[in-house]
Amino acid sequence: MASGWETVIGLETHVQLRTKSKMFCGCSTAFGAPPNTQVCPVCLGLPGALPVPNGEAIRLAVRAALALGCTVHPKSVLARKNYFYPDLPKGYQISQHDQPLATSGTLSFISPERGGVSAGIIRLHVEEDAGKSIHDRFPKATAVDLNRSGVPLIEIVSAPDLRSPAEARAYLLTLKQQLEYLGISDCDMEKGSLRVDANVSVRRAGATELNTRTEVKNINSFAFVEKALTVERDRQIAVVESGGAVMQQTMLYDSKENAVRPQRTKEESHDYRYFPEPDLPPLVLTPEFVAEQQSDLPELPSAKRDRFAAQYALSREHAAVLTASRAVAEYYESVVHAGAEAQAAANWVMTEALADAGDHQEQLRVPPAALAQIVALVKGGTLSHQAAKRVFAEVAAKGGDPRTVAEALGLVQVADTNVLAGWVSDVLGAHATEVARYRSGETKLMGFLLGQVMRASRGKADPKLAQRVLEEKLASAP
Amino acid sequence: MSDAKAIADRLTKVRRLNALLTPSKDLRKSLTAQAAAARPTGVLYGMPVAVKDNICTLEFTTSCGSRILEGYRSPYEATAVAKLKAAGALIAGKTNCDEFAMGSSTEHSAYGRVIHPLDKARVPGGSSGGSAALVGSGAIPAALGSETGGSVRQPASFCGVVGIKPTYGRVSRYGLVAFGSSLDQIGVFGRSVHDAARVLSVISGRDPRDSTCEDRDPLRLPTVPESLQGFVIGLPREYFPPELDPGVRRACERAVRFLKEQGAAIREVSLPHTAYAVPTYYVLAPAEASSNLARYDGVRYGPRFNGAADLRSLYRSTRGQGFGPEVRRRILVGTYVLSAGYYDAYYRRAQQMRALIAQDFRNVFDRGVDLLFTPTTPTPAFKAGEKLGDPIAMYLSDIFTVTANLAGLPAMTLPIGRVKGLPIGGQLIGQAFLEDEMIEAAYALERVVPATDEA
Amino acid sequence: MSVTRDEVLRIARLAELEVDEETLPELSEQMSRILDYVAQLSAVPANGTVKIFVPGPDAIRFRTDEVSPWPLAFGPAEFAPAFKEGFFVVPRLDQFE
Ligand SMILES: [Mg+2]
Ligand SMILES: [Zn+2]
Repeated sequence: MASGWETVIGLETHVQLRTKSKMFCGCSTAFGAPPNTQVCPVCLGLPGALPVPNGEAIRLAVRAALALGCTVHPKSVLARKNYFYPDLPKGYQISQHDQPLATSGTLSFISPERGGVSAGIIRLHVEEDAGKSIHDRFPKATAVDLNRSGVPLIEIVSAPDLRSPAEARAYLLTLKQQLEYLGISDCDMEKGSLRVDANVSVRRAGATELNTRTEVKNINSFAFVEKALTVERDRQIAVVESGGAVMQQTMLYDSKENAVRPQRTKEESHDYRYFPEPDLPPLVLTPEFVAEQQSDLPELPSAKRDRFAAQYALSREHAAVLTASRAVAEYYESVVHAGAEAQAAANWVMTEALADAGDHQEQLRVPPAALAQIVALVKGGTLSHQAAKRVFAEVAAKGGDPRTVAEALGLVQVADTNVLAGWVSDVLGAHATEVARYRSGETKLMGFLLGQVMRASRGKADPKLAQRVLEEKLASAP
Repeated sequence: MSDAKAIADRLTKVRRLNALLTPSKDLRKSLTAQAAAARPTGVLYGMPVAVKDNICTLEFTTSCGSRILEGYRSPYEATAVAKLKAAGALIAGKTNCDEFAMGSSTEHSAYGRVIHPLDKARVPGGSSGGSAALVGSGAIPAALGSETGGSVRQPASFCGVVGIKPTYGRVSRYGLVAFGSSLDQIGVFGRSVHDAARVLSVISGRDPRDSTCEDRDPLRLPTVPESLQGFVIGLPREYFPPELDPGVRRACERAVRFLKEQGAAIREVSLPHTAYAVPTYYVLAPAEASSNLARYDGVRYGPRFNGAADLRSLYRSTRGQGFGPEVRRRILVGTYVLSAGYYDAYYRRAQQMRALIAQDFRNVFDRGVDLLFTPTTPTPAFKAGEKLGDPIAMYLSDIFTVTANLAGLPAMTLPIGRVKGLPIGGQLIGQAFLEDEMIEAAYALERVVPATDEA
Repeated sequence: MSVTRDEVLRIARLAELEVDEETLPELSEQMSRILDYVAQLSAVPANGTVKIFVPGPDAIRFRTDEVSPWPLAFGPAEFAPAFKEGFFVVPRLDQFE
């Protein structure tokens, strides 16, 4: 359907900042409290209450802006965005308008169609969240919970630089990864801590003008980003191809129907009558503060991926997997620093550690030093690979020192040649026919004999050493 | 607790003024409880202070003179009120006012107009008319009011009492129901300069709950000066126009002679943008008000005005019926000047003019002038109903007071004589955070001016 | 300049204020007079070189990020006009409104 057409997408992403208290009051931001229990005069919008800004929220916003390469302005202004909605207690949202915190950044990401590209970040500003309206709680009424009211957010507005729904998704995932790295947000769309609205328009492939766009809202899960934008793109193409014109309007995505519908509010309600928030002086940031945040930024995902590939001689794919989350990357490096060989550590982290984390709320349960020890036990021949996996599982579940665990489970390989020689003698004695055939040149029977030795040892024999002992015995005179 | 009973009795005797919204029974009960709990070591121990109905109290309802908050009890109290209580003062009920402090006559209250204490046909001024009338009647030594454009000084002047509006940021606005946030300040009324100043000193000072409140210690009470030697007092010529009421002019000229006799140097000065102050104010204040009053929507508190089937009609009927005509008018004007296409022509221009008005004052103070002296109002108290049909005529009664709000400066009024039995107020405008100098000059003038004599 | 009846209605919708038919002519007349009166501000130089004046502190002071809610003497159930099972309640809104 989209052939011959190009999609132009810009995203407005709202991200909840990871703070203990709200943007303008001391109420908790914790998720899941009973309705209207984390409220106070300020976030209820009671007569006479006034906002007092949370310094940590501003610090996190500045870090996000710096990580996106934005210019952070020494002075910005908080503004009121006026509109009526039952979950907006004051009748206005404290946000920023013509003097935002930060402008002109970029985000580089891998486009599934175009490879490495970057999207412009037009602006990043701070604002407060509204409460929550619940439409299906009571038969004829909407229920309003103001626990979320006043939760700190940043809004990140991209330039219309994204060229397909898949690309929009890739941008969003990269942004999410970056913000998680910075510790700015948990970016959990299901909990509402990351939300995205999209501006979408279409044009003939090769055209450069920007056509009338619509705003797509209500995309409330990562899984729906691509779907919602595809539906809207296809709708616009169909409109234009049938000779119609796209109308500038807000479309709401309905994930149950996988469809978009125009929002039913009057056009004039979008006259937000912004003006500077008179309850708050200008947001002034000293150059020292901004510089301190800049120098204190952690290594970002793309830089870390490149460094891992180079420093640990990993493939780009492995480096990407290991740096997908900051927690995993730091874990991997700790395993290496604890003495594990880099590629072996990578294999262990990417398979056993990530699988275990996936089953246990993303907890990396085996301490890095323990995993390094497991890797070393395999390398030193103390544990077989299979045995090591059992040790890993045991340490993950119950903790403990890997060698002790391995011994307790009876998994340590026997490398004592005297013991091995005993098992070899037993096997040679019990399989005289095979021994004779081997000696007459049927050397492929080595596999069978070694298997018997392993069996006799109940898997504990060090296979390499056992083979050497076996070869020696077979070579000596009968 | 006979004190509490005596206070309640004095307030009950002036019920006819309709100045107090708190029912006598509730007042008596609360005063008794407060007196029992008051801290005897507080600097205002036992002093009754009435509080304008747009300042949140736990003891009484806070309706802002509006139907839209009829019966509303605030679940928290204003910082100023908490400071008064901590100083041992007794909160002596809530005073009637123009709805949401919008008005200059206290005729725009949903609970009826306030009567001037000296002439029942006249208005006490507004919007803090209830506080002014109570103090003017002698029932109470001091009261809190609020100012956005002269709402303490103008009624204080009309009622023959002292009224002080502090520097913007001197007193916390936490718990003061917002009208024009960048202009609003809690102010005080007193029978004397001393009564007003000591209440101001108690409520002033830093408050972590108001970001616009300056991080400063409370105002230190000045002593009564020996003389005004060394004070340079400016008379801005724009405040003495030819059409000024002759009685007001006479009273001011007499007061200036007293200031001079006390040793002050008098200098004529100019504040050239004065004529634009009222139009500037009537853009900025309604603009901020239109946003500040958006929260009264019938969702979280206050009554709902019909059994509306849908949300929009719930909003519209609650707000349409809950707000009175002057408030509705200002919300509409404020919404208009902020709406798409009009912002630059009105709001931005008004912001620029505000800056020029503030600069006028800085220029004068930079040239060695310590204080300004002006009439507080262009006329004495006017008759009830006189300006109700003409909003602009009503707005112009604030012509000499709005400038201090626009520039954020401290200003006060004190009685300087009477004309045909009606009090005339003289205004002192000071430099930011130099309330102490302004109060010193007021002490000196108060000592000598025959405040209740014909000028 | 003059504010038309339609403009008053548009502004009233923005402000969510019900205005009844009879008061409309008077309201548009009063709004026109007020707006004409304040229009004398166009005498200000509009070149934007005037530095905006805002009273109060020059810069925001920050609160530390601590959970310390400012207390309510009593909860929303006591002041809300409609409150049920912990929620404020309003007439049903469509999810797509
Ligand atoms: Mg936003
Ligand atoms: Zn709160």
